[in-house]
Amino acid sequence: MGNLSRREMLQASAAGVAGAAAAALPGSVTLASAPSQDQINMRYQVFNVDNVQHMLSTYMELNPHVNIEAISVTGVDHQEVATKILATLAAGNPVDVGFACTEVTHLYAGEGLAQPLTPRLMDDADEFMEYYADTSAALSETMLYEGDVYQLMDNFNAANMFFNKNLLAEAGLEMPGKEWTKDDFYGMAQAMTGIDGSFGYGWINRFWGSWMPWIFVNDTNVLEEERAPGGEWFWDTFYAGDERAVGRGGGWRWPAPQANNPKMVEALEFVVSLTQEGLTPAVEIGGGTTLLGFFSGNKLGMTPAGGFWAGGLINSGLEPGSFDTQFWPEWKSQRHQLGVCGPWILDGGGQEDQCWDFLKHYKKREIQDALGHFTPLPLTTPTRRSLNTEERFGQTGVENWRVFYDTIDERPDTGPIAQPVFVVELTNIFTRYTGLATNGEQTPQEALDNMQAEMEDLYARNA
Amino acid sequence: MASETTLGSGRRNWLPAWLAGDTVQGIRRQRMVLGVLFLLPTLIGLIVFVLAPIVVAVALGFMKWNVFRPPEFYGLKNFTRLFQHELVGNSFSNTFVMMAMTVGMLEVFAISLALSVHRFARSRLAYIFRTVWFLPVLLSGVSVAVTLSYLFHTDFGVVNYYLGVLGIDKVPWLVSSDIVRFSVSLATVWRNLGFTFIIYLGGVSALPQEILEAATVDGARGLKRLWLITLPLLSPTILFATVIDVIRLLQFFDEPYVMTRGGPGDSSRTTVMMVYDTAFANLEFGYASSISVILFLIILAVTGFQFLLSKRWVFYQ
Repeated sequence: MGNLSRREMLQASAAGVAGAAAAALPGSVTLASAPSQDQINMRYQVFNVDNVQHMLSTYMELNPHVNIEAISVTGVDHQEVATKILATLAAGNPVDVGFACTEVTHLYAGEGLAQPLTPRLMDDADEFMEYYADTSAALSETMLYEGDVYQLMDNFNAANMFFNKNLLAEAGLEMPGKEWTKDDFYGMAQAMTGIDGSFGYGWINRFWGSWMPWIFVNDTNVLEEERAPGGEWFWDTFYAGDERAVGRGGGWRWPAPQANNPKMVEALEFVVSLTQEGLTPAVEIGGGTTLLGFFSGNKLGMTPAGGFWAGGLINSGLEPGSFDTQFWPEWKSQRHQLGVCGPWILDGGGQEDQCWDFLKHYKKREIQDALGHFTPLPLTTPTRRSLNTEERFGQTGVENWRVFYDTIDERPDTGPIAQPVFVVELTNIFTRYTGLATNGEQTPQEALDNMQAEMEDLYARNA
Repeated sequence: MASETTLGSGRRNWLPAWLAGDTVQGIRRQRMVLGVLFLLPTLIGLIVFVLAPIVVAVALGFMKWNVFRPPEFYGLKNFTRLFQHELVGNSFSNTFVMMAMTVGMLEVFAISLALSVHRFARSRLAYIFRTVWFLPVLLSGVSVAVTLSYLFHTDFGVVNYYLGVLGIDKVPWLVSSDIVRFSVSLATVWRNLGFTFIIYLGGVSALPQEILEAATVDGARGLKRLWLITLPLLSPTILFATVIDVIRLLQFFDEPYVMTRGGPGDSSRTTVMMVYDTAFANLEFGYASSISVILFLIILAVTGFQFLLSKRWVFYQ
């Protein structure tokens, strides 16, 4: 096995289960002519092929010998996308360049699937100075795992509060300022509840977004957090002199669960009380589209979302200017949660050099500017600070669009949602017990005690 | 004859010696080989797409494999673990409960519909009814589940809206552990009713009219005729439909996965969802295979039991 590449090993070990995994294979499209003998064929996984057309065509124009097959893999959330990627792995048909978000960055890095980019970044440091200077240190930190960088980035989303301005006006309220608090939020939720059958606040039972923002502003997390040692090379090279980079290490670690600590219980009790008081509708499982529908239909006054909603709400039929955003309200802190997305290279796939060359093209400002998820409407938030412009977000009518990047720049303590290597199973545990607390079948304390017990078992199995 | 001899001679030139020759034995061998050649494409398909995955799935049940590293032999540990795993037992229990509810509703509704639609057999209405009731079968399970989860939303769903109009309190269709299995079963019935209905419509259409007419002349009418004459005559169709439905519904996945993700808690988590999560979320492909092997054996046993029981109630003319 030692002489086999990862691709060959996977193909050999998975030959028999290919049929079982075939159902999960995504659709694909080839964006170049049939390859000749001299051509290099690369497989690139994306969420939406249309969004990367310009990037691919410009790269293949510059490199006619490279043929890139863009493969679209979608899911309700990033964990679901990861399960599909793993299904392609199980079928022995992995991609050369993948696209992942915070939720699974450590999974791919920790399992040796993604290649560490450290030596390549050091060799090409000059080419990347501008890229990282244009990207907040808090975002870059999420791409580190045990001292090495594993991904580049193009978009992120922190959980901000979105307001339905129609309901806000009907309740006689105005947009709050950045310093607003949990008590302000509570009063506004009360005021907006009941207008034409609407609810003041709504959220969905999932990992990102859900009640996670309340966990963060209550100054805690579902898992204990610490920073891995290392990474000095990265900070010294790309963020020398940047105050916001001081104290950052080799990436985040989540060494143990703490689901039932008193602050967690307090946060869950708060969101459960909102449901019990009728300020929040029944909390059901689902993705962002569920909330999108209810918010667009003027049924929800406030809800957690990121920059992806600026264009998303316009696409779902809301008039520009009928919604706005603000920081999450302050409780014990005003720390926000975030998730960052970008490409990674398959380790052992045999085409790492060409993949790296492709990523160097990918990180260019003009290339990212033309990505379909930023243009014509912003469907997510660019990680490059300079791409967060009035021109881009102004057309959505979101007056406070600067909040999206200010969440990182003005609140540098903003951190990623927990992403240990077993994050997919962790998410299942989190949503299971959240559901039992919000429907009243378990008290928040009971639900979190049970959540803690299962997470401890999960940690023990993965020790 | 001369041409046949020439052909025969030509055949000898390229056929192996044991196959060549115009003797009875030679011709038998040639026919056998020809038969095998005709069967070969089907056999290869069967082996590659049916037998091999089954064998590999069973073999994986004795392995530990997380995709990232080669599989390693794990003995019976996966099987001993699953018998002690509360969540697995719970998923089997959910599957059986939802299967029983769904099959029960499916058979009753489908028979009733088939008998009703059969009354219009000679009218154009029959075409319309058949088409309309069969349409949901053509829809994707996932899109049906997404739509129905909106309809069943506790606070914004259309179902609760109309219940409210009737003065009935909101029902927590998808967020109560007591109700969720019924809600998911109801959604599954809606999508699958057309398939079972068509099976019964075929059965009802084939019922011997002379027996039904004789029963009517003898005074059997209404429910009495249904219970004592129609259903016994329909029993082979009922057996076929229930066997097919039980097998399909013991593999419940689309509706519960999309509508509830197995929640609240684990109250609607089915065995196939458990297999999916274990494999692709927990990356325990060996353990997932062991669960699917047990599910396969259970389906085999249940089907066998249905056929065994059928000797007591199925009436073959």
